[in-house]
Amino acid sequence: MKTDAAIKQEVEAPRPSDLDRIAPTRDERLFLVLSIFIGVLSGLLVVSFRVAIEWIKILTLGSAPHPGQYRLLLAPTLAGLIVAAMVQWFFPGASGSGVNQTKAALYIYNGYISFRTVIGKFLTSAIAIGAGHSLGPEDPSLQIGAGVASMIARRLRLSRRTLRLFAPIGAAAGLAAAFNAPISAILFVIEEVIGRWSAAVLGSVVLSAISSVVVARWFWGSEPMFRIPQVTLRDPRELMAYAVLGIFGGFFALVFSKSLGYLRPRLRALARWTHFFQPALAGLMVGAIGFFGFPQVMGTGYGVIDQAMHGQFVWQMLIGLALLKVLATTLSFSSGTPGGMFAPTLFVGAMLGAAIGSFEKHYFPHLTGTVGSYALVGMGVLFAGFLRAPLTSVFMVLEVSGNYSIVLPVILANTIAYLLARSLQPVPIFEIFTQQDGLDLPSMEEQREESVLHVEDALRPSDVPIVQGSESIEAVSAAMAATDAPALLVHLWDGSWYAMSKDELISATAIVTGNTPVERVLKPDRTPMIFPDLRLDNTLQYFPRWPLLPILNRANKRKLEGVVTLEDVLKRYQNLDERLQPEVSPNRL
Amino acid sequence: MGVFELQSPLTTEERLHKRKLIVRDLMSLLSLFAITAALAVLTYFLFNSFSRHRQNLAQSWLVSGETAISSGHPEQAVEAFRSALEYDPGQPETEIELAMALAAAGRTDEAISYFTSLLESEPGNGIINLELARLYAKQGNESKAIDFYQRALDGKWQGDGYERRRAVRLELARYLLDQKDYQRARTQLLIAAGNAPDDPKIRMQIAGMMEEAQDQANALEIYRSIAQQKPGPIEALEGAGRVAFALGRFELAREYLDRAVNHPDFRSQPESVRTATQETLADAVHLLAVYPRPELNVNERAERILHMAKVAQARLDACSITKGTPVASLADLSAQWQQIPARLTPTTLARDPQLEQTIMNLVFTTEKQTSQVCGAPTGDDALLLKIAQSPLTVEQR
Repeated sequence: MKTDAAIKQEVEAPRPSDLDRIAPTRDERLFLVLSIFIGVLSGLLVVSFRVAIEWIKILTLGSAPHPGQYRLLLAPTLAGLIVAAMVQWFFPGASGSGVNQTKAALYIYNGYISFRTVIGKFLTSAIAIGAGHSLGPEDPSLQIGAGVASMIARRLRLSRRTLRLFAPIGAAAGLAAAFNAPISAILFVIEEVIGRWSAAVLGSVVLSAISSVVVARWFWGSEPMFRIPQVTLRDPRELMAYAVLGIFGGFFALVFSKSLGYLRPRLRALARWTHFFQPALAGLMVGAIGFFGFPQVMGTGYGVIDQAMHGQFVWQMLIGLALLKVLATTLSFSSGTPGGMFAPTLFVGAMLGAAIGSFEKHYFPHLTGTVGSYALVGMGVLFAGFLRAPLTSVFMVLEVSGNYSIVLPVILANTIAYLLARSLQPVPIFEIFTQQDGLDLPSMEEQREESVLHVEDALRPSDVPIVQGSESIEAVSAAMAATDAPALLVHLWDGSWYAMSKDELISATAIVTGNTPVERVLKPDRTPMIFPDLRLDNTLQYFPRWPLLPILNRANKRKLEGVVTLEDVLKRYQNLDERLQPEVSPNRL
Repeated sequence: MGVFELQSPLTTEERLHKRKLIVRDLMSLLSLFAITAALAVLTYFLFNSFSRHRQNLAQSWLVSGETAISSGHPEQAVEAFRSALEYDPGQPETEIELAMALAAAGRTDEAISYFTSLLESEPGNGIINLELARLYAKQGNESKAIDFYQRALDGKWQGDGYERRRAVRLELARYLLDQKDYQRARTQLLIAAGNAPDDPKIRMQIAGMMEEAQDQANALEIYRSIAQQKPGPIEALEGAGRVAFALGRFELAREYLDRAVNHPDFRSQPESVRTATQETLADAVHLLAVYPRPELNVNERAERILHMAKVAQARLDACSITKGTPVASLADLSAQWQQIPARLTPTTLARDPQLEQTIMNLVFTTEKQTSQVCGAPTGDDALLLKIAQSPLTVEQR
């Protein structure tokens, strides 16, 4: 119900078309200023969010949870009940991880994320994660950031186009603060939310991400959520070990992905009343894992990642923790408990990496580097294999380690994991969730790899007559009559070209004498200068006017590379679709 | 020109709208700034309160871990130290305490893994290297244990590194002694002795270990240097006497053992030690009573030689009978004895120093040969065997 004041304000406010007229550069000017505000606000909210999680953890699980404590069973179960009630009754937009919700806001709801969703996400995720559900705070932070951006953009009544651009800006800010790593956050948002590089938002994304990280570092310091040990590559033979890590990572990503893909839709399909109890049941089961010996899998697990990186566990224990974390996260996430997948992914990767590092240190002491290096690379491996963000995975490891000597192992292991996971499970996890949620969002993996056609792909050698502008109408008509081409190209004295249709030539013949130079009868415009490297879709706008387009050489504009017609362009696109059809259809369906 | 073209078409109403828009945007930005400031203050207080709580928790878990360790509950200590590190990560002392608790809890593999990881960030840390040496020693990995002991010796130590290194060296020597690697143990002990302060306790410890490493000569030197004090510690007198006796320096042994027995603290020594000291002293006295010392008058010396010859011949006869079958070496000895004139008197012998020497050599050879053929002797034969093993040192001081 809108208040009178709000209605009055709406009536008084200028319409978007008026805004374009009276303040055409307003959006652009506000864009950068607001990006900083979004970054700072997101940073503050994410810091508060993290503190809230830690407080709730201490209050519910105690300051040092250990097996055999009944509160390990009780806390996640009760938290599950509370969170389910909150999500079902008050905050329906708060369930899930946050990444897909942000994408939905971007692609479906014109960048709209409600204030209620932001509040709901903050509260429900903090309660669930703090009380021990095996989920992470990064994806909710991403959605909180996107929500903040959306609220600010709405408050300033920015245009719909601008409003849509703000969601990824806020998402990057939220994620950057949660990761304490701006580059990784920016890359993730580009890889997973926007889908491709866009100069329109890149500057603002960077600005907001850096602002939020500055705020986060003011509180947390420059270290990431876990201390990074000394990272080294001592011996090139170690690359074999990293390759093994990549293979294991690929398989673990598959197991993780399959588990979620199997359980989540089945739980969602159950009667609605069960949704009130699913998080509680999942909490009980996760709590049972903790109660019977492995409280490390509860909550975010940052402390455990830190311990694994610093060699506090033997490899058997690390493998066990990785497997139990997959189980616990599958239960928590599939039950609809709000919380993210990033921290569990990093946890599983770190455990796997540290396990392989410890194993090798034990059995091949002369080959291996530090356990911490393997744990760090392991995190990247799971990020690449499970979340399918290969670029982010590489930069995340480099950014948090601050050591570029590890780049080779990271690229090797991540590539193996990514390719293996992709060949075994073609559909990325976020797309699986999208399909399960009944949404139709673009696949970022497909978008990233989408083939862009260029003019050279449709180019063919010229088979139409080419005449000089000084030639007579009679000579040109004779040249035209000698072929069955629908048009001809006229090369003019100043180097420009004119594509003349047969009908135009016939009309000209009727009104001028035969010895009139053809350039005298041409209309004043000229065919555009098009080069082979331009995007093919750019040519479409010219075909209503021109029967064909001459394609020129960039170095020598007098040189003709070939021609394209509308028919050539359409045929090229049809062929592309046919080529892609078998690959796309199974995933999209 | 372009700017004027864009601005000029605005109507009065549009200008008013534009002005309102600017004011509204400014107000929105100001309110945004106010919200940001308020949230920053709130977050600051929340975070500070949280940080303080974390520090308190870290401290309380650290204390609780140290209490658990000192009361012999290493498993509880492991959990406590882990919690302390969770709330205050990266504290090297707590990390080392955690690793030590893991080791104390018998979780050797975990402890090794953790210490190894800690070592990566601090390769020269003496404590970490020492703990790794102990763990590998516990696992029976001798080469790694010795390697890490050596690294601990070369490593960096907080506080009194001099004392810590000496303690590590003695620990390494003890490990080498347990492994029966006496040669390397002796090397470590000699370095330790060279660097040892003038502290009787430490020097006594080193001397004792040298005895174990079968380096009696150096042990004797240390015992003697300690025993020079008046009154020297009784342990030093006992040690010097014991080692001198083992070295065949019976005169010296008698002197020290005599001082030990007359030391005011002798009565407070354990019974077994007192008995052993007294028995060794008795042996030394008896041995010196048998030994034909050069400073004796010729007759007395000849009498002692004849007594020794009699004892040795009896031993040879008894040994030959015990074996039954003829033994070539014993037969050879019998032949040599038969070449000695049968009815020698002290006076005759006193006149022939060459014969004296021949008889003494034969006595020593007989005692050595018979001990190899018939086993360790007893009584006077045992004393003669001791003299035979080092006849030149009997009176060496």
